[in-house]
Amino acid sequence: MVLRMKRTVPILILGGLFAWGTPRGAEAQPAEIRKSLARIVNSAQEPNYRSPWVPGQTGGGTGTGWVVSKDRLLTNAHVVSNARFLTVEKENDPKKYVARVEHIAHDCDLALLKVDDPSFFKGSAPLPLGGIPEVESTVSVFGYPIGGERLSVTRGVVSRVDFQTYSHSVVDSHLCIQIDAAINPGNSGGPVLQESSVVGVAFQGYSGDVAQNVGYMIPTPVIRHFLKDVEDGRYDRYMDLSIGTFPLLNPAHRRALGLPDDDRGVVVSSVQSAGVCAGILEPGDVILSVDGRAVASDGMVELDGERVQMAEIVERKFLGDAVRIGILRGGKPQEVRVVFNRAWPYGMQATSYEAQPSYVLFGGLLFQPLTRNLMGAYQFHSPRISYYFDSFVSREVYKRHPEVVLLSGILPDPINTFLGEFREGIVDEINGRKVETLKDVADGFAQESEFYVVKFVGIGRPLVLERSAVLAARDRIRSRYNVGEEQALPGAEKVRVGKAD
Amino acid sequence: MALAVVAWMGPGAVGLRGQSPSPDAEPAGSAAALVKTAGKPSVVRVNVTSQAWDFVRPWGKRPPLSKRAVGVVLKGQRVLVTGELVANANYVELETPDGAVKVPASIEAVDYESNLALLKAEDGGFLKGFAPASVEKAVAGDGLSVFQLENTGTVLSTRCVLSTVEVGRYPFDDAPLLLYRTTVPLQFRDSGFTLPVFKDGALAGMVMRYDNGTKSAELVPAPVIEHFLKDASDGRYEGFPRVGMSYSNMRDPQFRRYAGIPEGVQGGVYVTDVLRGGPAELAGLKAGDVVLQVAGHPVDHDGNYADPVFGRLSITHLIGRHFSGERLVFTVLRNRERMEIPIEVKPRSARQQVVEPYVVDRAPAFYLLGGLLFQELSRQYLKEWGPEWTKKAPEEFLYIDRHQAELYPEGDRKVVVLTGVLPSESTIGYESLAQIVLEKINGKPIRRVSDIPAALAQSKDGMHRIDFDSDPGTIYMDAAAVAAGDEELRRNYGIRVLNRIE
Repeated sequence: MVLRMKRTVPILILGGLFAWGTPRGAEAQPAEIRKSLARIVNSAQEPNYRSPWVPGQTGGGTGTGWVVSKDRLLTNAHVVSNARFLTVEKENDPKKYVARVEHIAHDCDLALLKVDDPSFFKGSAPLPLGGIPEVESTVSVFGYPIGGERLSVTRGVVSRVDFQTYSHSVVDSHLCIQIDAAINPGNSGGPVLQESSVVGVAFQGYSGDVAQNVGYMIPTPVIRHFLKDVEDGRYDRYMDLSIGTFPLLNPAHRRALGLPDDDRGVVVSSVQSAGVCAGILEPGDVILSVDGRAVASDGMVELDGERVQMAEIVERKFLGDAVRIGILRGGKPQEVRVVFNRAWPYGMQATSYEAQPSYVLFGGLLFQPLTRNLMGAYQFHSPRISYYFDSFVSREVYKRHPEVVLLSGILPDPINTFLGEFREGIVDEINGRKVETLKDVADGFAQESEFYVVKFVGIGRPLVLERSAVLAARDRIRSRYNVGEEQALPGAEKVRVGKAD
Repeated sequence: MALAVVAWMGPGAVGLRGQSPSPDAEPAGSAAALVKTAGKPSVVRVNVTSQAWDFVRPWGKRPPLSKRAVGVVLKGQRVLVTGELVANANYVELETPDGAVKVPASIEAVDYESNLALLKAEDGGFLKGFAPASVEKAVAGDGLSVFQLENTGTVLSTRCVLSTVEVGRYPFDDAPLLLYRTTVPLQFRDSGFTLPVFKDGALAGMVMRYDNGTKSAELVPAPVIEHFLKDASDGRYEGFPRVGMSYSNMRDPQFRRYAGIPEGVQGGVYVTDVLRGGPAELAGLKAGDVVLQVAGHPVDHDGNYADPVFGRLSITHLIGRHFSGERLVFTVLRNRERMEIPIEVKPRSARQQVVEPYVVDRAPAFYLLGGLLFQELSRQYLKEWGPEWTKKAPEEFLYIDRHQAELYPEGDRKVVVLTGVLPSESTIGYESLAQIVLEKINGKPIRRVSDIPAALAQSKDGMHRIDFDSDPGTIYMDAAAVAAGDEELRRNYGIRVLNRIE
């Protein structure tokens, strides 16, 4: 649970091909299952972070979905992300049905789709949800992967059940099942079945040069969590304690904290001030139990007869739920109650979807908040930017900079031709007022002032723009660079956020 | 450019004096004139065996490395080489070009920032009969000859043209000093490219960096060599002085108007920061001042002055040309008023920096506490991540190095970090800890490794409390168990000393 772990992230398995043929029966599979499968074709549009005023590139991909209730399809979030137009197709039916995303959960890579024409679901029974399959048991993966146009079924064995990073958002980890069946691009969103029940949704794997015969599926506890969360018509996201913990395996460490040699408890190493535990837990508290379940010194608890990570208890919570945490503080045991009254608010480290990039363009200077998407769009050289990004949560950068606003680019013009050295600077102040968010930048430039004086973190000289020069250059810059809107602030569109853990 | 094989001229004459300075005078590839030799040349071979400390396992050294280079005999029977050549040297030896005689040598002066070292033969007679080379400036466009030695003692001279004279970063400190740039196809002879460069027989510079791909060479130029020699001549080397300020250009007319620079005033640079306790701050220079002149030389809007020899050069060279203790008058504009601020220039010691830019000829300080390895963060440590260290070293440490003046404005300290853990009974459960900043031991702030022993004496209830500035926060170690385990740590890991404190 140390916050700064880095690891090889599995790749998503969204298909890149638009192809469709007439499927024929796959032998030995009950016809009902095949009727409940859909091939999903997503026409997507990726936002353009370099020129955020232009609509992004269109592209798309294919994936698999399946009937989860009488009139809904379930698939992966990454299959339908940034969708502008979605169609679904069934075997033995030439029609393309228009579909819409009803709920999308980027933190657990699941989405629920509606289909405009109810006749799509005629003859399709919802597939029942099963449990967690045994390690070594056999499962079947259904989907429309690359390598052909028809439904493909592969078989594999459950290799392990563990927490894994979900690479769709990069920052979220949940329970995950590894199987050795071939999972390929296009399989995404497809059901993995065992004895006619869905035991998972195929969603990610490694490319062949990293690991072979490794595929991952989202297990049913995560699917059920998603379906329950959206029952009220809204997806509230996963809850998170937003704390760092450290195992208590060292005998001296245990004695210093007044703990017996009973292999129990982990110590709280950090408490995020924006998290739900702020003011309730403190660094140095020893967590002995969570919801009455003993926490072992390596952070594991026993749940349904299995040893699982303590976080698994929190994984099952919903917005508004509470958790009881038994702690030892100052040598005295006590119990605290933490209410999950909000999801983790700062999501800049997670890959974002759907949201259009926010920006302010002023005098040809492009200001944008630092996000993972922005990092992907630019190759920043500043070590300060990487540091602010990576330590945004661990060092609580968000307290001073809820949004880390950068001068990310310059549209060259005579008024800014000497300002290149400020590129990649992090905005600290405009005309003496602290900048915390992009909105502060917009507000700062909206004030009337002879000079706009922009201070950047760690740069001794301010950037200065004369209002008269900016006004005179405005139309010139807009027409030369074909700029539509000069700003877009995060508004109605909810910027999605990930977890701190 | 032609490769010219030459032998040595008669006594008194040095190097290639008298030959055409222009490399274009001869068609490329043609053989140059062969001149018969009578006396000894002014170059010698220098053989160095060096052994750097291992900054990952700071109790030991890396395997010895032997290097061969060419040094220049200067007056006073001294031999000039690059500082890099003799860094971490265990043994230095001079050898006649033909390899007939070898004598041990000692390092009389070395400056890693200007990348120069002066050697002295232990046998005083060895250099007798070598005609000492003089040092002479070269300017852009001059023809130069890079000297290498064949095994026979024959000089291999490669001609080139000095293309650029500018202030640039030197290898060790990243400190800016004057340097020459040229493009020259050098053959790989010995193990490195520490090679003298002559202009008309006088020493014009020493190659300090060479890129085999682009064939571009960077030279320590004559003015830096002269400064080094003069500084070293009194036996007390001080180094190139600085003023301790950073500045930014003032090209932007909008910024000039904002800063209140009158229309008629040309040039000037904006002081963005003054180093705490540095010469500029002590003299009263402030961030926000605009420097218009240094020592009577007008400063342009990029921070250059008109050098009588080299033309436009950064004021860094103007300052560095002086010697420690000299006063330079800075003419500045503050709040639209002109004022004169005399600044007594001084070198900045690398050892005083929070994150030392290099640690050479000196063992790194470390403390092994029951298996927890504490060290002082230095760029030398970061360079253990290899040529790509600026991308591969721990991000937080790179950030601390880069922004040390901002993060630790008070200076006068180091940053002690946990660089790794040797698994032992005391470190069970701590094995995964690495690359985190140590804050306190037993409540005492740790500002250098030498603070650790006194802090350990403050243990309470037999426990050492260790506080890091990030996860895992606080850990503990049993003081008695640590002491009892030291012998085993020494034995298991073959470490003779468990700490090294300056």
